[in-house]
Amino acid sequence: MLGYLRLELRRMFRDRRFVFFTIAVPVGFYLLWSNTFGGADAEPSTGLPAQVHLMVSMAAFGAIGAALTTTGPRLAAELQSGWLRQLQATPLPRRTVIFTKIFASMVLALPPLVLVSLVAALTQDVRLPAAEWIGMIALMWLATLPFAALGTIIGSLAGGDASQPVTVGTYLTLSALGGLWMPLDELPGGLRAVAHWLPSSRFAQIGWDVVGGHAPAAAVGLVLAGWTLALGGGAVAAYRRATLSA
Amino acid sequence: MNAIVFANVSKSYGRVTAVRSLDLTIDAGRTVALLGPNGAGKSTSIAMLLGLTQPDSGTVRVFGRTPDAAVAAGVVGAMLQDGALVPGLTVRELVDFVRNLYPEPLGRDEVLRIAGLTELAGRRADRLSGGQAQRVRFAIAIAGAPRLLVLDEPTAAMDVESRRAFWASMRAYAAGGRTILFATHYLEEADENADRVVVMAGGRVVGDGTATEIKARTGGSTIRFTLDGPSTAGLDRLPGVTAVEVHGSTVLLRTTDADATAQAVYTSGLPVRGIEVRAADLESAFLDLTRTKGH
Repeated sequence: MLGYLRLELRRMFRDRRFVFFTIAVPVGFYLLWSNTFGGADAEPSTGLPAQVHLMVSMAAFGAIGAALTTTGPRLAAELQSGWLRQLQATPLPRRTVIFTKIFASMVLALPPLVLVSLVAALTQDVRLPAAEWIGMIALMWLATLPFAALGTIIGSLAGGDASQPVTVGTYLTLSALGGLWMPLDELPGGLRAVAHWLPSSRFAQIGWDVVGGHAPAAAVGLVLAGWTLALGGGAVAAYRRATLSA
Repeated sequence: MNAIVFANVSKSYGRVTAVRSLDLTIDAGRTVALLGPNGAGKSTSIAMLLGLTQPDSGTVRVFGRTPDAAVAAGVVGAMLQDGALVPGLTVRELVDFVRNLYPEPLGRDEVLRIAGLTELAGRRADRLSGGQAQRVRFAIAIAGAPRLLVLDEPTAAMDVESRRAFWASMRAYAAGGRTILFATHYLEEADENADRVVVMAGGRVVGDGTATEIKARTGGSTIRFTLDGPSTAGLDRLPGVTAVEVHGSTVLLRTTDADATAQAVYTSGLPVRGIEVRAADLESAFLDLTRTKGH
């Protein structure tokens, strides 16, 4: 188990360009938006100053991106190349393969969370109590779990060629409907109701709640826990399906 | 002890039957070739042996266990046809990773030595040549010191030199009393490297024995010599002879028992010289078997 995790992390961090963009994209967008909208009135949907609201949005955007892109396309490529079939002929259990991939992708979701926060503190004078910094990063990090699981489902089912566009499409949809690009209130009514139940909107809500100085609502945690169970179970089943030929 | 047992195993993909009522038992410690053309059912049989595919009916056992249990226990190592190497790792890292998945692996240096990779240990595995990459895949298959090593067309796309080196590596591994099953459609590979050849065609076993037996069972051998006498009468009555051809002073005998026929030719008192015995090549034996019993 640990040997496989070490192997996966080593491979991931050796891909320097990939790691760089995983961090640079959310940090870059944060700088762009916060310099455009910063100093304006508080964001009406959360009541937070724009640069604080955007910090959570872009941290969420970066973490979801890391969780999806380190799982889907990679898993699909390894299935296609036969590497994972080869692993299936060793004593390493399927379950371990998929859980390790999910955890490894969560490790790569941590740097965007930390660095967006750091850049917010250093360039936009965002000041929070230590407990809120830690709480926001820790809770958001835990909440990347359903996205990592979703990524592995895409990787198991989409196939080598489709996995990249499916991942990107899922990523952009979840970001837009999660309120990461614009407040949910600006969505049309029907979509707004759907968006409210999406893991991405609940994910960002956790962060906004914590940096707003109050504990996240139980309902938010429950929705995310539900997604985690469903997607986690789906991840194991999808991988089994992908590696066991009919 | 039986290393492998297939008992009445069948497997279809949709309307295509890949393996039909396969019965096959392989003793521990043997090196067995699974020989057959593409589509004979070799890869499907191997996939079932490794638990990668479930049979529609019948049972498969590996050292008395189900394939899944045997793989989980680290009894099996495999080199699959499309088992590409994962990018981003050195040969040493890959070998160590796989070694650590097994309860009692070979030492790293031993794996690298047997596979001929000692010099390449620090190289990135995804930047090696085709033949070198195949050696890494072989190293991965043996790293856990499995009692059963399964190789699915291991030398496909190798050049002659790599192929020779590869079989030397395989024999070095087999020498430890291990069981090896390899699939191939190269006839000479089965002939040279296996002590038993199982010929498959159309999802069935159509021939089973040593390479010599398989050759003998079909076309047989030829004996050619020069006869400095006038008469060829009686040659067709020599033991084992099935046909006689005469071209001038050159005589060609087809025989099912080359040893007995050659001895009889020498002791016949005929003025014979330049005797040549040629074993039937496995190629013709193989074509014969797969043609007559294939479908």
